[in-house]
Amino acid sequence: MNMNGEDLIEKVLREGERLADEVEVFSARGRSVITEIKKGIIGVAEESEAWSMAIRTVRNGQIGFSSTGDPDRWKDCLDAALASGRLATPQRWGGFPGPAALTGAPLTADESLTVAVEDAARLVDDLLAGAAEYPVEVIGGSADLGRSHLSISNSNGITYEIERTVVGVSMETIREQSTGYEFDVSPFRNDINPHAVGERAAMLAARSLGGRDIETGRYDIVLSPVAVASLIGQVLIPALSGRNVKAGRSPLADSVEEQVFDESLSIYDDPFAPGPGSTAWDAEGVPTRRLVFIDQGVVRRFAYDLKTGYRYGEESTGSAVRTGSEPPVIGVHNLFIDGTPEKEPGYGRAVWVHDVVGAHTANPFSGDFSVEVANPFWMEDGELVEPIRAAMLSGNVFEMLGEIGGFGNDVRRVGRLTVPSIRLNNQQIIGK
Amino acid sequence: MSEVRYYDIRCVRGEVTRIDIENRVVESAGTSFFDRTVVRALASNGWGILIRDHVDLDSKHEIDTLVREAARLAAVTKDHLDLADAPRGTLPVPPPGEDPREIDLEEKTRLLAEIEGAARIPGVTNTRANYTEGVDTVRFLDSEGNENTYESIRSGFSVVAIASRNGVMQMGSEREHTIRGFNLRGRHDLGRKAGEVAVSLLDAKIPKGGMQRAVLDPELAGVFTHEAVGHASEGDLVREGASVLGGRIGERIGCKGLVIVDDPTLHEFGFMPVDAEGVAVHRTEIIRDGILTSYLHNRETLAAVGDGIAGHARAEHGAPPIVRMSNTFIENGDATREEILAECRQGILLIGSRGGQVDPGRGVFQFNAEYGYLIEGGETTGMLRDVSLSGEILTTLHNIALIGDDRRMNPGYCGKGGQVVPVSDGAPHLLLKDAIIGGRGE
Repeated sequence: MNMNGEDLIEKVLREGERLADEVEVFSARGRSVITEIKKGIIGVAEESEAWSMAIRTVRNGQIGFSSTGDPDRWKDCLDAALASGRLATPQRWGGFPGPAALTGAPLTADESLTVAVEDAARLVDDLLAGAAEYPVEVIGGSADLGRSHLSISNSNGITYEIERTVVGVSMETIREQSTGYEFDVSPFRNDINPHAVGERAAMLAARSLGGRDIETGRYDIVLSPVAVASLIGQVLIPALSGRNVKAGRSPLADSVEEQVFDESLSIYDDPFAPGPGSTAWDAEGVPTRRLVFIDQGVVRRFAYDLKTGYRYGEESTGSAVRTGSEPPVIGVHNLFIDGTPEKEPGYGRAVWVHDVVGAHTANPFSGDFSVEVANPFWMEDGELVEPIRAAMLSGNVFEMLGEIGGFGNDVRRVGRLTVPSIRLNNQQIIGK
Repeated sequence: MSEVRYYDIRCVRGEVTRIDIENRVVESAGTSFFDRTVVRALASNGWGILIRDHVDLDSKHEIDTLVREAARLAAVTKDHLDLADAPRGTLPVPPPGEDPREIDLEEKTRLLAEIEGAARIPGVTNTRANYTEGVDTVRFLDSEGNENTYESIRSGFSVVAIASRNGVMQMGSEREHTIRGFNLRGRHDLGRKAGEVAVSLLDAKIPKGGMQRAVLDPELAGVFTHEAVGHASEGDLVREGASVLGGRIGERIGCKGLVIVDDPTLHEFGFMPVDAEGVAVHRTEIIRDGILTSYLHNRETLAAVGDGIAGHARAEHGAPPIVRMSNTFIENGDATREEILAECRQGILLIGSRGGQVDPGRGVFQFNAEYGYLIEGGETTGMLRDVSLSGEILTTLHNIALIGDDRRMNPGYCGKGGQVVPVSDGAPHLLLKDAIIGGRGE
């Protein structure tokens, strides 16, 4: 970027202050590379550079927003933010945050990481070597590396900056009509074992071959961390958002301090733990904190940002997050599903489910879902013994979490979620 | 460094306007700006791709530098690929009826608020409406001397109502997206419909899972076409060995009379005047009379796989082109809706779509209806909610027992490889025998 980012932000803040009560500038610049596998070898090498600036203005309780990827259009962007504010419904507003003491500075970047296609290519080599451990064909996969620099400044005098790195790998394999997909993402290179990811994707395809049919009926099941994350991400996380709670879109709205879930289940957001969402300040510059949403099955609290907090007389919980140059929304930083593994969740005989197809079609308000399962196996005393050909799983996420059969000790990070496998007894499977 | 065999540059500059209204509160309304360029270069092996903000396409020096840089990246690739020749040409973009750019944001906000308000009928506890308008200016040039430029304007809205009673929450939603100009006027009906569906669903039952006869309405049958056939016919998946439809050209994979088409020239939501590699767009018949006839291709997959035409490359702004669907549909048959319901006798009618997903390698797909009805004695009776359907690509199309005569197209957005593009899909009413219905009802 051949421009001075700090000078530009200062200019926007000064000009914006003349025209609005308050101004905020969120800026991101980054560079990333990705190498993609085609026909079992590297077919694409890509490098991306991006810069963006998102402006919010507040005037008489009206919040305006605009963003741009072109520094030369900063004035258009500021004007668009002000125009946007004139249409927003005025609300109670207590100001952007001023300077505050931050608790801790979580590690968010891997200093040793180089963002180069040659390094991404080496990760792909390891993925392919891992996949070669089983007799499968590779039908896709990639490795990506990225480094970005984020900053937030507002007219109340705060400026926070953070550097993030990301390493991601994924692998897709097939054997006849049996497929396997695995992935891993982390800020830190040493967290990622591409050989193991490749091997696991290949194992899923190789071992799922020749699955037998299952009869429709009720079964004890074990959802792998990937399947748990898919369903919880679609249904439970939206229900914890303060905006959804206050707007009548969360079924947990009236359940604070009630025992809604199994008492072995706790769910919390820890922005200070190492993870892809680690940060000491949220996307509005509010200091973050550890938040316990569900404590031994009891609903304790919900997540708020400034806008929803001021509107309803709640305090921001430092839960604002942003995707790209979109406006901030309520989200989670590093969400942990925590349950004491009492015993091996695969005891006796159960149906193990690696992932689900169509989790996004679950009903986020009722929690009901009916999805196709991917890589289902019969599990006996924790061991995968025999593949199952195909099945649908129907249930309700809220009811499932109300009666948990056990947690695995196979905790893993799936995006912003860190989850164990979960056993659920007496669930509806539809065979074919 | 080896010589650059080919390069292309695609620059998309545009504005996105969004309005979000919830429970009568204008949460946000405004416009943002972007300007992204993708440079692709082929040297001896695979693609080197460079993605940048606001590139000056009129600067020969800047282009040369970017192409060299893209070619340098390609040095780590090993896959050798060729590009098929393909006809060039750009269709005229149909002018929008009422140009949304001519209407000020305040009026758009007011009209959207009316639709949102119409959803708030007794029993409804939450209403939300969103408006999205995208104006893109696309410029493309390649090393073979092809150039094109066009402007695309898309706009539309969605409205969601949530009804609740005694801790039970249900949702109804309606949407309409179009390339035919501003569409917020006089659409209270859709707001009200979202509210009515949400309230009715409070009393709906969960279906009993298992194998049944199913009637799909045109919207859901369109999603079925997209998930069950469309994705698996994409040439990139076929090339990688990731589709069960690979190697099956000429094979019967569906019932007689079944015709499945992808047609980017139609003036529906998936319309494009030229594809993202500068190739002229044409209609492709994927399935003709039940026989697999063509795949969807870009220049690279056409050269590698054959069977079909290029012209199906699409890209989100700031992302490289990949093979995508545009307007995908099942052609009309000759059965009326009444005949289909009568022939079904006992089964389930599925209406609207909450989305779907497919694993094309395994050949398994899943999709979800907004709601449904039991069919008893050829008549629709009790209302059902949370109805899912799953199936297997290679058997499901044989299970289409009747094809209706009332095709409708529905707009939507499709995600693949992290890119989201506007599409439409459609079909007439369909009767499926041996459909796998998900549900835990008793």
